Amino acid sequence: MSERDFEQLVVPHLDAAFNYARWLTKNTADAEDVVQDASIRALRFFRSLRNEDARAWLLTIVRNTWYGRLAKHGTDRVGSDEPLTDDRREEALSPEALVLQQQTVAHVQEAVESLPADFREVIVLRELEGLSYKEIAAIVGVPIGTVMSRLSRARERLLARLRPAIADGGRA
Amino acid sequence: MNCHDVSRMLDPYVDDELSPADAAAVAAHIEQCASCGQRLADRESLQQLVRAVPYYTAPDRLRIAIGNAAPRRSWRVPPMAAWAAGIALVAAIGGAAGLRTRQVAQSTAAMAEHVVDEHVRALTSQRLFDVRSSNQHTVKPWFQGKLDFSPPVADLSSVGFPLVGGRVDSIANRRVAALVFQRREHVIEVFIAPVVARIASTDVRSIRGFHERHWVQGDLSLWAVSDLNERELREFVDAFVSATR
Repeated sequence: MSERDFEQLVVPHLDAAFNYARWLTKNTADAEDVVQDASIRALRFFRSLRNEDARAWLLTIVRNTWYGRLAKHGTDRVGSDEPLTDDRREEALSPEALVLQQQTVAHVQEAVESLPADFREVIVLRELEGLSYKEIAAIVGVPIGTVMSRLSRARERLLARLRPAIADGGRA
Repeated sequence: MNCHDVSRMLDPYVDDELSPADAAAVAAHIEQCASCGQRLADRESLQQLVRAVPYYTAPDRLRIAIGNAAPRRSWRVPPMAAWAAGIALVAAIGGAAGLRTRQVAQSTAAMAEHVVDEHVRALTSQRLFDVRSSNQHTVKPWFQGKLDFSPPVADLSSVGFPLVGGRVDSIANRRVAALVFQRREHVIEVFIAPVVARIASTDVRSIRGFHERHWVQGDLSLWAVSDLNERELREFVDAFVSATR
């Protein structure tokens, strides 16, 4: 791997790295710090990147960097092993409710941010990065089955929380 | 395939993660089961909603900083590259390089945060200095007996950074010397402590609008921090180093 390769392979994924970090940290300043630290590490370990996907590789480093900082400062709830209460509702989402208003986006953003970190990250990696279960499993460092169950539980939570908000938005 | 099976497969189904056979079986079930069909519709609606949340793109300053961190053939060494080299060098000495690099990056970042925190605290408190003097021969002896090291002190009025005073402070449980300088309406502080292990030997960063530079001089670690622009802060550090070497 030459020096040029770092720029060609890794730098194009800065947005992905920043977006992931921003959703993990929930604020811009911390996300910048995390990505900056992660890039330094990426640079250092660049030679260890072989034929892997550079984006997944960089996201893994971002994640490790963030967890490292978290272990040090302990500012977020990382665990999500609390039992999922069955608070699903029976009403369906109406198509009109899907009219995306800023308000709705804000609600959704809030709902995603309120998820525990390990639910939040699978949602972000799946829905915003469009990564496969396999890629997410590699980044998060868990089996594919765990990715699937976290996604499922994350979505159940989001649905439970967003149904009323969307219904209100639809009426407004 | 019954409703229970299908409910367990809904997520991989919407995510295109099922084998063609399983996907076909789920589709067939949903054709004739209204409640599973509704659950699928919910999933798909949710997916649309979630995909509309912000995708945060990297700020330009981050892009520039990281672009500069990549090694280039250009003769000029950008500050970030020097910082990276510092970390790499420290890391190379360690046995478990990976762990060590992470620890170094973290400790360096943590220390930088502490320095900025302390600078902000000092600015907002009534106590910016305990000894007020622009005379280095007054300030330097003032530290005697208060610290177990002798901090370098220089008045840089001649290059536009007058010394204003000093105090003894504490950062991350270390007793440090703090020197206060001025540039126009800006305050520059230099924090000095016996060399801090496990942090990069050089570090440049911006934190909450403050610029911060860390370097090692002899067996002392020094941090300069200010809301002054980066270029002038670098000039300041250069002047400080050459005056105290």
